[in-house]
Amino acid sequence: MAVYGGAERSLLVIIFDVHPCQKIITNHQHRFHQVLEAVIAFSNGHLLMKPDNRLAIIGCHSGASDYIFSDKDYAVVPTGINDGQYELFAHVEKCIRKNIKQFLSKMSNNLPAGESLLAGACGMGLCYIQRMKRELPIGDKMNSRILVLTGSNDSASQYMNYMNVFFTAQKENVVMDVCTLEHDQGLLQQGCDITGGAYLKTPQQQGLLQYLMWVFLPEPPLRKKLVLPPPVKVDYRAACFCHRQLIDIGYVCSICLSIFCKFSPICTTCHALFKTPGPPPSKPKKKKPKM
Amino acid sequence: MADDDDVKEYRWETGYEKTWEAIQEDDQGNLEASVAEIIQRAKRKAQMERKGHTRLGMMRHMYIILDASEAMHDQDLKPTRQLCTLKLMEGFVEEFLYENPLSQLGFILSRNKRAEKITELSGNYKKQLEVLKSNFGQPNSCSGEPSLQNALELALSSLKHMPSHAIREVLVIMGSLTTCDPGDINITIQKLKTASIRASLIGLSADVRLCKSLCMTTGGDYGVVLDDVHFKHLLSTHALPPQAAAEHSSSALVKMGFPHHAPTDNKTSYLAMCMCHLDSEEGSKLDGGGYLCPQCRSKYCELPAECKVCGLTLVSAPHLARSYHHLFPVQPFTLIPIDQNRTPSCFGCRVQFKTIDKQVYKCEKCCEVFCLDCDMFIHDTLHTCPGCSTNQQTYQTLSSES
Ligand SMILES: [Zn+2]
Ligand SMILES: [Zn+2]
Ligand SMILES: [Zn+2]
Ligand SMILES: [Zn+2]
Ligand SMILES: [Zn+2]
Repeated sequence: MAVYGGAERSLLVIIFDVHPCQKIITNHQHRFHQVLEAVIAFSNGHLLMKPDNRLAIIGCHSGASDYIFSDKDYAVVPTGINDGQYELFAHVEKCIRKNIKQFLSKMSNNLPAGESLLAGACGMGLCYIQRMKRELPIGDKMNSRILVLTGSNDSASQYMNYMNVFFTAQKENVVMDVCTLEHDQGLLQQGCDITGGAYLKTPQQQGLLQYLMWVFLPEPPLRKKLVLPPPVKVDYRAACFCHRQLIDIGYVCSICLSIFCKFSPICTTCHALFKTPGPPPSKPKKKKPKM
Repeated sequence: MADDDDVKEYRWETGYEKTWEAIQEDDQGNLEASVAEIIQRAKRKAQMERKGHTRLGMMRHMYIILDASEAMHDQDLKPTRQLCTLKLMEGFVEEFLYENPLSQLGFILSRNKRAEKITELSGNYKKQLEVLKSNFGQPNSCSGEPSLQNALELALSSLKHMPSHAIREVLVIMGSLTTCDPGDINITIQKLKTASIRASLIGLSADVRLCKSLCMTTGGDYGVVLDDVHFKHLLSTHALPPQAAAEHSSSALVKMGFPHHAPTDNKTSYLAMCMCHLDSEEGSKLDGGGYLCPQCRSKYCELPAECKVCGLTLVSAPHLARSYHHLFPVQPFTLIPIDQNRTPSCFGCRVQFKTIDKQVYKCEKCCEVFCLDCDMFIHDTLHTCPGCSTNQQTYQTLSSES
């Protein structure tokens, strides 16, 4: 086991999208349980890598995000009847099942319409990672990553929140991995590219656990040595503020950097007024100072 | 207890990598604590002043004038003023270009009564730092007397040609208390003002009336460092976009291109010379990667760039997005005494609140409660409230307000 990694421990935060409108859940009731099983097995796989490895899971849907597993759950001491390791795994599994059940039961009645707020859940994850870094014994090293597991649609409405999360992760050396089960997620893909994480849209539902183990289990420092899917071409086009459409060429306000697809005389973000881009050379004559 | 907290915060803010420098300051007893307090107060004030939707002006053009005179050999900053300045510049240049996308800076050195432009304005920080190191970081880099006037004139001659929508700035790092000028520096200061160039100055020794008047006249900031940590703090205030920018620059809508990655798969292998290295010594790179100008298909290996063929400014959208948090900052959280708090743990990091914490911090918008560490992290780095952004009612209000 120890051969597999370096000396440093590894913190994994899983953002688990449990939005009931994901096609993968609505179409096949039992599929959600398959995904849950995969998450549990994958979590234990991560903890098995090194005894010092740490884990957190944050559940997320359109109405709320909450911790499914965190250091609080970790603190429960195994009874020690069995082999300690297996005892721990059983404990982790029990906690995840119990907490996710609680989380789902809280939502069932009045779930607000809308998409899963994954960017916010990632923000919570980053706060958690910062605390784990602060609490790390002096001299110890830790790498951290966030894995987003989702079957939701791509959408640009969380653009700002996502960007803030990506740049924070980049700044704090947190790798963002994304495993999407159903739709391609252009925005999250940018996050992977910015932070150096892996992006995978599972080609099929069946082997989810294998995909997780193969692509996302190796901690980031080890990945260079492994053969992984080639990096995808990321669409970095800008979305205009006016129509949220992707554009190649646009107009940018020099005051606030808002992007527009057409020239307009006023910036809708900062209310700056623009001169129309007429032929400029005629003007300077007027300004000439008398000497 | 409050004192302890402040010190911890201050260490955390300045970064763990500089702890050795902090240890040196312990010799001076109280000084460290008082400096920490000054920085702390300034930070809180800055946080309170920062409100959403301010006009920021993010296209900044800044010349940094470094005193490279004899005075920089002084050892009141460790190890010397020269090396301390060099080290802090490395961080500053990176932070400046990070916080101000589409901005450019360049360096001017002043020594032996003369001024010398060592880099042209550009947004490539690696290149800037390379040149700076070889011109300013050597044992014989600093000599003679500085000439503030010559340096300002040199900056003026380059900056006045910048487009009017860009902010023009000069930042002077001055070690010497005197300057050796060929004429009346007040005339130069007036010229700066006329060209709407904002000049700021950081003094390494003591208050100088002339320096103060330079900053007052042109609308810049003036500061004198107390120690290296304070120096770093003063510098970082210049990395953030200036608030008063709107008066200085006229606004413009600038046409820009958002290039795709050039195709990299083997089948369509699209080998092209990049335009950015054509005139450099290493020569142009010939490979499949890079970015293509959406207007004329010229290739560049780095963004941002200005297309040398069609003149379009090429940027990546996330590059712009990096600065949007200045427009939509998280509002300051409300302090709540721990005995009035009903929540058991921090919404962000799930740390359990203890009575020793004294206070917790509440977001007025989503009503979630956070610990001090998360409060600082959210306002300084994350720029998104985890409570608001996980709530359907509040997650988008910032952007839809506009
Ligand atoms: Zn539009
Ligand atoms: Zn604007
Ligand atoms: Zn072009
Ligand atoms: Zn917290
Ligand atoms: Zn909030």
